[in-house]
Amino acid sequence: MMTASLTPGMAAIVLFGAFFFLLALRVPVAFSLGLASLPLLIFEDRLSPMSLFNEMFKAYNSFILLAVPFFLLTANLMNVGGITDRLMRLSRALVGHFPGGLAQVNVVLSVFFAGISGSSTADAASQGKLFIEAQVKEGYDLSFSIAITAVSAVLAVIIPPSILMIVWGGVISTSIGAMYLAGIVPGLLIGLAQMATVHAYAKKRNYPVYPRSSFKEFLTAALVSIPALTTPFIIVGGILLGWFTATESAAIAVLYAAALSIFYYREMTLKKLYACIVETGKLSSVALFCIGTASVFGWLLAYYQIPKALLSNLQGLGFGITATGFLIAGAFLVVGCFLDAIPAIIIVGTVMQPLAQAAGLHPVSFAIIGIVSLAFGLVTPPYGLCLMISCAVAKVPLRYALKDTMIMLIPMLLVLCAIIIWPEIPLLLPRWISPEMLK
Amino acid sequence: MTKFLDLWQKLLTWTMALTVAILIVPVCLQVFSRFTEIIPRYIWTEELSRFCFVWMVMLGAMIALRERLHFDVDLWSPLSPRKDAVLRIVSNVFVLIFSAVMIVWGVDFTKFGWNQTSELADLPMWLIFIAWPLTGVTWVMFLIEAFVRDIRMYQRNEALAVGDFS
Repeated sequence: MMTASLTPGMAAIVLFGAFFFLLALRVPVAFSLGLASLPLLIFEDRLSPMSLFNEMFKAYNSFILLAVPFFLLTANLMNVGGITDRLMRLSRALVGHFPGGLAQVNVVLSVFFAGISGSSTADAASQGKLFIEAQVKEGYDLSFSIAITAVSAVLAVIIPPSILMIVWGGVISTSIGAMYLAGIVPGLLIGLAQMATVHAYAKKRNYPVYPRSSFKEFLTAALVSIPALTTPFIIVGGILLGWFTATESAAIAVLYAAALSIFYYREMTLKKLYACIVETGKLSSVALFCIGTASVFGWLLAYYQIPKALLSNLQGLGFGITATGFLIAGAFLVVGCFLDAIPAIIIVGTVMQPLAQAAGLHPVSFAIIGIVSLAFGLVTPPYGLCLMISCAVAKVPLRYALKDTMIMLIPMLLVLCAIIIWPEIPLLLPRWISPEMLK
Repeated sequence: MTKFLDLWQKLLTWTMALTVAILIVPVCLQVFSRFTEIIPRYIWTEELSRFCFVWMVMLGAMIALRERLHFDVDLWSPLSPRKDAVLRIVSNVFVLIFSAVMIVWGVDFTKFGWNQTSELADLPMWLIFIAWPLTGVTWVMFLIEAFVRDIRMYQRNEALAVGDFS
């Protein structure tokens, strides 16, 4: 057994104190996590800053995380390769005639997008450009347009495939196939909740409606989109049938999206392709670099046995499944405000896992509760990436769209509560399709 | 100086794009070799993709510092340009400390990997570990440029009397 020279409490104060101090000084999150780990690495005799690099290297040297650039690349290829346009036409034929037509299209397109890409930030970036200006032109309020774009983008990590589920599966060893199936129902429920919110807004503020598309228009839009819409079935099906692993499925999705946009929709040029690749490299490296320093931070927490100390206080209380579920969701919601979702899984997910286990919460339900709560973190300030991106596209400060975002989160919170109270909801599909994965 | 950094950044960006492109190949080979006899089952595919991946992350992290892509939590906005410059200088000092750590201990880290080779493909490990000190050096260069710019920004806004016109 290792003996550390600091008590868990002291180490926690140093780590978290330094981290929040640096964050407040606007030091980027990735650097704050690394710098906060430094004093302990230097002070502790057994450790050295070299452990920092070693842990970072171990974090990056993982086959699972390769899925991050792949999913981003898929999303970028979809956008420049014309797939997104086709899906948009289909969404418009489906829901354009509902109150708040274009905003409904925004939500439905996010559902389709979520089924192909697993990255919410990519969704927010592309749909921000696609919708915000167009919605304002049609008479929607700017803050509403930003909020609905950001909020609907979070569906990408809940509906399979999902970067977060792959990382969760790698860190907390839960079946990724089971999580994928489990994410479908909650994801669609949240999508419906958002459409209901748009409906209420549209009625109250008299937002415009498109004329209903004819059946023929719908049919052509659907036919053109079929090759794109089969992607989720290839990915999820391929994993369930054991053809490829989750990471490999992401690579297959890249190939498929590239093939579609080059040979079928024919909108890809070499220049566009290079821009796609550079964009993907930059965005994914920024996210991944942060994972490296977050791993060091998480590793130090474990070294000083801080999670154990925290949990020993909680476990004594003997919470039931529901109370534990709310506790887990609460922890992820709070942490999600300050951290990106992947480091949050590495740091908090591992802390919460024994607690969920002790309460008898099914690992897959635990994962879905955690991931849905973290999805909220993508739009909650001060560190809500999707909201930051949408606001950046519209060139307004984050505060501007805050109120509408918070209003839209309320119906989604109800869905989260429902999943916590009935943890069987996410288990419905996996139980029906592949019960052996839940063991 | 700026010209050199522009060139250096372009080189880094090309290399990063290359690593992203290469990344796809071994993973797909791995899947296809499972189903066809044409492609032999290479065991080095996974390792090669992981190593490209490490380099991609570090190269991207280098470029992102200059383009200010690393995400931060902004509790201060709106700030006047002058105060904004001061805050940027302060936060960059901390980033500079981290870069220094990357250089100093990164060299040790590379030496540590000098005689090691990878498990599957037998690649020398220092080829990967050297990414850390290199990142540190690149960051220091980009930071110097940022410091010069921010100090100038501060002085220019000081000249404009109070300067808080935002």
